[in-house]
Amino acid sequence: MAMVNERFIASNSRRRTALRRRSRKSMQPGERIALWASRIVIWCVIVVVLLPMWFVVIASFNPSNSYISFSLFPSNASLANYKVLFQGGQFWTWVRNSVLVGVVVAVAQSFITAMSAFAFSKLRFYGRKYGLMTLLLLQMFPNILAIAAFYTALAKLNMIDMLGSYILVMLGTSAFNIWLLKGYMDSVPRELDEAAVIDGATTWQRFVHVTLPLSTPMMVVIFFLTLVGIFSEYMFAGTILQSPWNYTLGVGMYNLISGQFAKNWGEFAAAALLSAVPLAIVFALAQRYLTKGLVAGSVKG
Amino acid sequence: MATVMEMRRSHGRDQVKRRVDWIAYGYLSPALVTICVLSILPIFYTIYISLTDFNQMHFLSYQFVGLKNYEELLNPHDPLSNLFMPTFIWTLVYALCTTALSYLVGLILAVLLNNKHMKERTLYRTLLIVPWAVPNLISMLAWQGLLNDQYGQINALLHGLFGLPRIPWLTSALWARIAVIMVNVWAGFPYMMTVCLGALQSIPTDQYEAAEIDGANWWQVFRYVTMPSVWRISLPLLIPSFSYNFNNFNASYLLTGGGPPNSNNPFLGQTDILATAAYKMTLTFNRYDLGATISVLLFILVALISWVQMRYTGAFKEVDA
Repeated sequence: MAMVNERFIASNSRRRTALRRRSRKSMQPGERIALWASRIVIWCVIVVVLLPMWFVVIASFNPSNSYISFSLFPSNASLANYKVLFQGGQFWTWVRNSVLVGVVVAVAQSFITAMSAFAFSKLRFYGRKYGLMTLLLLQMFPNILAIAAFYTALAKLNMIDMLGSYILVMLGTSAFNIWLLKGYMDSVPRELDEAAVIDGATTWQRFVHVTLPLSTPMMVVIFFLTLVGIFSEYMFAGTILQSPWNYTLGVGMYNLISGQFAKNWGEFAAAALLSAVPLAIVFALAQRYLTKGLVAGSVKG
Repeated sequence: MATVMEMRRSHGRDQVKRRVDWIAYGYLSPALVTICVLSILPIFYTIYISLTDFNQMHFLSYQFVGLKNYEELLNPHDPLSNLFMPTFIWTLVYALCTTALSYLVGLILAVLLNNKHMKERTLYRTLLIVPWAVPNLISMLAWQGLLNDQYGQINALLHGLFGLPRIPWLTSALWARIAVIMVNVWAGFPYMMTVCLGALQSIPTDQYEAAEIDGANWWQVFRYVTMPSVWRISLPLLIPSFSYNFNNFNASYLLTGGGPPNSNNPFLGQTDILATAAYKMTLTFNRYDLGATISVLLFILVALISWVQMRYTGAFKEVDA
């Protein structure tokens, strides 16, 4: 009986590999047409999606700001816009402020999120069952809607125009991130955690040495989501930070482009390129983790 | 005797089950503290402000006025009522169109990319993800420049290539609205594509092989094997995505500044969504009371919509499992 079974499995798997091989090696004519049709569609989409960005690149190398003509390559390219940007000196202040706020908030958030996700995933306590659900529901009221409350409270406390108060406001933990990370931690094999308990590990050791290292991909996701989120944040930055030396990159660039558009477009394009490229590269590297993390989080619920 | 034993045993098991890790609250406390101070407290303060006449004129001596602000915004005969309803309808249209179109584009691209004969698909995926990778704020501001109807390169391109007349992207109400939706689909589809691609790749190959053996055609495979899995995985992410768009301040404020101006509304422009309305009322016009009232109404709306969606899709059901 066992042998029959084995033979059946073997023949079945042989047939499967045969099927797989056939589909990999030779394409049927229909498949070939479908492949080229999808390639053409994808090429068109890529052109439409990336062309606007290429325009920004061109503008950053184009010294004449007075008018913008359509060309696929800059006509007398120069670094004039970049020079103006660096000589003004403010650009580096904005970068420094953004990096400072971004890193502080992202590190703090990742850590706080990890601690509570660990509690929801691995520990037993009253409120575990509905706690996360409640937090998720409460956070449907995003911080930005309380802008009147934040602004008036900070104004009364004389905390307007301080980088510190901006960092403070941004520290609010995202329940969605906790939910994502908890889903990921749930997929860490339970046996590892149980083995650690049997070996007499304290809760802190279980957290730092077992669960946390195995959740690194999702932690990376959350770190970068938060960091990019800070670089994309305008509403609070624009509200709280009012002196040019306190501007984050976003507020500075907003002031470059709003108002005197024609005068500053080239400079803006240079600043956009300089700040977007490093973030985009880091993001592209983390993207492999992102795909895995988001799917794992949602599959595990 | 047996029952006593059983009772004791089950009692013991219950005790094991009920063991509580009190330390858990320690692990939760940083998150709880920040959420309380930075999410919950401001909600109550916002509700409180919405019941007062707190504005620049009454910065120190504001009074409790009850539901007066709500009446002003919701009563169709009140001059302030066209602050709320038109803005609300546009917010809804914008959020629905943006979420649905991003999802559609993302799904189509994911299906096209999920072709194992396409050797170079990693390259395509990387290129298509670029709009998501660029910080939203930078891309929105860049689009503001690109869509400028006098100097912008989009009009220059359309004119140079197709001989089209200048399109008043940011100065006509209709085109500004189209621009807001278009740019946000541009920014939003890579996320949807990534999620759908992840879902597609998580479908076990057995299912496809079984379908192939059963002689299913590609549409049947797509309809009965691919879609159910993609749907199951991506739907829970559509809900946060919708409420994200509903409150996406950057989307309209950084692209159009809410403009173009609206002739029968001195405060808000044609593309102002409720989130930018609350912001403008607070910071530009110093009407903290009206800003807070709009926020509370917006919160109620988001809560309602999300509740309906959650009931409908059963998302987050497993969150406490």
